[in-house]
Amino acid sequence: MSDALQFLISGLVVGSIYGLIGVGFTCIYNVTGIINFAQGDFAMVGAMSAITFQTAGMPMWLAIILAIIVTCLVAAVIERSAIRPVRGDVMRGIIVTIGVGVVLQGVAAIVWGTDAQPMPVFSDEQLIHFFGATLMPQSLWVLGTATMAMVALDLLFRRTYLGQMFRACAMNPFAARLVGMKVETMSLVGFLMSGALGALAGIVVAPIALTQYDSGLQLGIKGFVACIVGGFGGPVAAAIGGIVLGILEAFATGYISSGYKNAIAFALLLGFLVFRPGGLLGEFERVRG
Amino acid sequence: MKKLRLFALVAVLLACVLTRSSYLESLLNVIALQAMPAIGLALIAGYTGQISLGHAAFYGLGAYGAVLIGRALGVPAWLDVLLASAIVATLAWAIGWLVFRLKGHYLAMATLAFGIIVQVGFVELHGVTGGPNGLSDISPLSLFGHALDDDFSILPVVWIVTLAIVICSENLIASPTGLAMRAIAESETVARSVGNDVRSVKRLVMLVSGLCCALGGGLYAHYIRYLSPGPFDVGFSIKLLLMVAIGGFTDVWGVLFGVAFITLLGEVLKPLGAYDVVAYGVLLVVCVIYFPHGLLGGVAALAGRGLRIIGQGRAG
Repeated sequence: MSDALQFLISGLVVGSIYGLIGVGFTCIYNVTGIINFAQGDFAMVGAMSAITFQTAGMPMWLAIILAIIVTCLVAAVIERSAIRPVRGDVMRGIIVTIGVGVVLQGVAAIVWGTDAQPMPVFSDEQLIHFFGATLMPQSLWVLGTATMAMVALDLLFRRTYLGQMFRACAMNPFAARLVGMKVETMSLVGFLMSGALGALAGIVVAPIALTQYDSGLQLGIKGFVACIVGGFGGPVAAAIGGIVLGILEAFATGYISSGYKNAIAFALLLGFLVFRPGGLLGEFERVRG
Repeated sequence: MKKLRLFALVAVLLACVLTRSSYLESLLNVIALQAMPAIGLALIAGYTGQISLGHAAFYGLGAYGAVLIGRALGVPAWLDVLLASAIVATLAWAIGWLVFRLKGHYLAMATLAFGIIVQVGFVELHGVTGGPNGLSDISPLSLFGHALDDDFSILPVVWIVTLAIVICSENLIASPTGLAMRAIAESETVARSVGNDVRSVKRLVMLVSGLCCALGGGLYAHYIRYLSPGPFDVGFSIKLLLMVAIGGFTDVWGVLFGVAFITLLGEVLKPLGAYDVVAYGVLLVVCVIYFPHGLLGGVAALAGRGLRIIGQGRAG
C-alpha cells in the first residue's frame, strides 16, 4: 500500500511538470496554430542557464529570474527568425520547429557540454514522511509552482482582456485582425509565455532530475502527450493530462520495468490519438484526417 | 532528359568505381543505402503531403527483420531481405491504417511515437535483438556462391536496387495513383470530391514507402554486418527529413542529390564530432524557410536572379 502511495506521489510530481510543458504547447498553438516541437528544449535551456548562473555565485532567486529571461529571449528570437516566415503552413511549421530544436540541442552541447548537470534544491533536504511514503521538499516546490502557474494561466485566459485577445486570435485570426488586433504581436507574446513556462518547468524539476543537453526531446513529447490525454485546449486539460500520464508512468515503472516507461507514454499517445483524439475533456474534431 | 540523367549517374558511378578507391566506394554504398529510405519518405511526405517522423523505424525493422529471419529460417541473405521487406511493408500498411485517421501535427506526433516505441523495443528486447549490444556476425550477401563482403562487390547490388527504386517511384508518380497522391497533397477535400479514396491511397503509399525503407535496411544489415539500436533513432528520421527537404520534397532526383549532399557534408564536418547537428539543424530551418523547392532549385533561382540583375545593369 505504501508502495502505491509512493508511486502516486512521484506520479503527481512528474505529471505536474508534464502539465507545465503541455501548457507551453497550448500557449503557442492557440495563437499561431503551430505545435512547437522545440518546447521541451525551452525547459532544458531554462534549467541549464539557471545552473550556470547559480554556479557563478548568484543567489537562487536571481539565477532563476535571469534564466527565465534568457529562455524568453531565445523564444522571441525563434519566433521572429524561424516561425514568422512559415506562419500558416503546418508541415513546414513542424519541420522548422524540429530544426530549431536540433539547433538548440547542438548549441547546448557546445555551451554546456554533454554531461548531465545537477542543481541544488530550493530549500532544505529533510525528507518528509507520511503513511510510509517519503516526499522531498523539492516535490512540494514543483507541485506548488505548477498549481500556481496553472491557476494564474486559467484566470488569464478566461478573465482578462489579454486572454480574450488570445482566444480570438486562436478562433479566427482573420476576424481578429479585422477588429484591430495585432496577430503578430500576439504570436510573440505567446512565444514569450511559452518560453517562460518551459523554463519554469525545467528549473523546478532540475534539482530532482539531472539536466543534460538532450533532455528536452523527451520532456517535450511527454508534455504533448499530456495535452493529448487532457484534450488540447486550456491549462486545466493539460494539467489533468499531465497528472494522468505521470501517475501511469510511475506505476508502470514500479510494477513492470523502467525500460518500458517511455514506450508506455507513447503507446498512450497512440491510443488516445487513434481512439479518442479529443482527449479526456473536450471534443476536437479538427485533428481527424 | 530523364534517360540522360540515368546514364549520367551510371557513368559517374562507373568512373568512381574505376578509381578503385575503397573510400569512394564505401561512400557510394552509404549514399545508396540511405537513398532508399529517403526516397520512401519523399513519396509519403513530399508527394502525398503526409509527414512522418518515424521512418527510421521501418529502416530498423527491415534491418533487424532480415537478420532475425535469416537466422530463424536459415535462408540465404537475399531471400531474408525480401521476406523482411514484405513483412515490414505489410506492417507499414497497417500503421497507415492506424495513423492516417490523423493529420498535421497529430500525424507527426503519432509517427514520432511509433518511431520511439520501435526504438525502445530494439533496446529492451534483449533476448531477440541483443539489446544495446546489438547483433554481430551477420553473414554477407552472397550471389551464385560468391560472398559480397567488400565495398566493391556489394556496390552494384545496392545501386541496382536504388536505381530500380528511383525508376519505380517515378513511374508511380506519373501513374493515375501518383496524380491522386499529388492531389491529396494539394487538398484532401478536392481529391475526395473527384472520387479518390484518400485513406486507401495514403495507405498504399505508406506500404511502398515502408518497402523502400525495409529494402534499404535489410541491405544495410548485410553490408555493415553489425546491428545496434543507435542508427535507427529519431535522429535518423530527422536526417531523412533533412535529405528530403534539401531535395525539395517532390523530386526523386533532388532527394538523391540531398542524400549525397548530406553524406558528403557529414564527411566534411567529421572533425566537429557530435556538434555537426547544429549545422544539420540550421540547414533544415534555412532550407524549409528559404528554399521550399530544394537547395539545388533555390541556388539556381538565386543565381538566375543575380545574372538577370547583372544583365539589367549592363543593358541600363
